[in-house]
Amino acid sequence: MTIRHHPPADLLTSYAAGTLDLGDHIAVATHLSACPRCQAMAAALEHVGGAVLTGLPPMPMTDGALARVTARLDEPDRHSDHGNKDRAHPGHQDLGRTNRAPLDGVPGLPGFMRRYMAAPWIWVAPGVRMRPIQLPAASDSRVFLLQSRPRTKMLEHTHTGTELTCVLTGGFRHAAGDFGPGDFDWGDAEVRHDVTVAPSETCLCLVAMRGEVRLRGFWGALIQPFIRL
Amino acid sequence: MPADAEATPDNEDWSHAIAAVAAHRDRAAFARLFAHFAPLTKSLMRRSGLPESTADELAQETLLLVWRKASLFDPATAGASAWIFTIARNVRISAHRRGLAGALAELPDVDASFQPDDSPGPETRVATAQAGRRVRAALAKLSDAQRRVLELSFFEEKAHGDIARILQIPLGTVKSRARLAMSRMRELLDEFS
Repeated sequence: MTIRHHPPADLLTSYAAGTLDLGDHIAVATHLSACPRCQAMAAALEHVGGAVLTGLPPMPMTDGALARVTARLDEPDRHSDHGNKDRAHPGHQDLGRTNRAPLDGVPGLPGFMRRYMAAPWIWVAPGVRMRPIQLPAASDSRVFLLQSRPRTKMLEHTHTGTELTCVLTGGFRHAAGDFGPGDFDWGDAEVRHDVTVAPSETCLCLVAMRGEVRLRGFWGALIQPFIRL
Repeated sequence: MPADAEATPDNEDWSHAIAAVAAHRDRAAFARLFAHFAPLTKSLMRRSGLPESTADELAQETLLLVWRKASLFDPATAGASAWIFTIARNVRISAHRRGLAGALAELPDVDASFQPDDSPGPETRVATAQAGRRVRAALAKLSDAQRRVLELSFFEEKAHGDIARILQIPLGTVKSRARLAMSRMRELLDEFS
């Protein structure tokens, strides 16, 4: 699998710094799980983080801080057994208790997402459906799986916020090139998307979206109220 | 602040201190680590906008995790300060989510969300050990100016405009330096691999 499209530099930096919004973090992590090159870059940026840490002006700790921590060294580690690992996360945005299912089995997702819960598929447009993912903490983005039939031509659209996409299976094409499994795509209000899904295979993507999609042109304006993205 | 400080004797010592904590539960070594890294971690927490008392608590939490996770530290891969940075980063994210969700909420493991793979096999581990050396070599080759911009971009509130003010250089220069630093790093990492 050759990966041709990577996250922009500032996204990778914020990922390593730990300052990304959860939805954006998930989109970048999905790309990383397929891309050793960006994994090396993220590891490199953690070293930059180490240099940042050691270069800061030290701030004196409160009196007795070391004694307080030392007193806790023999405590059993309540977190080490990761008792919550096999349980589903209590969702932040509740998608409803019924019909949710874990994402285990969806190809191309990073390991930590297998325990996330997702709602059933929802019809979006002809040939296109989406599956909202329940996040374990607040996020400015909505995160969902987007599935499109081969040769689907998405209506020309723009975004009111940013949209980060990572291809899981299949692929699509737009002005910036061909996108296949592992490839990372992003768009904002200035990018016009004119997307065609590859002919051979159903396309499955993970999407983190802020704001909403705006369709362009006369027909777009007419059907906008019916498009659920 | 040389970014290749990982290779200096001073930092080698921190790796040894972590190794001593892992091997013998060495409390004297832990006290040295605490004296050095807790005030730096507190400073990092303050920079991300947390009040002083919270920054202090989270620095304590970070060092407690250094004690508990010491056996997971691999000096070939991480370098002491990079490893402690990642622990501090995850503690901060976890505290942030706890704050949003309420103290009783059951929270997912932040560490896991930074693992590209759940179970790294032996080949992956060798690859990351080599990556550690490559990274140090690559960082050492960046210009001081490029490195400074990269480091400043680690703080959320430091948008490129703020960095321009701090370094007293035009905004365009900050952006081109950040871009150059990142593409130079990519080239160097590709070269070594």
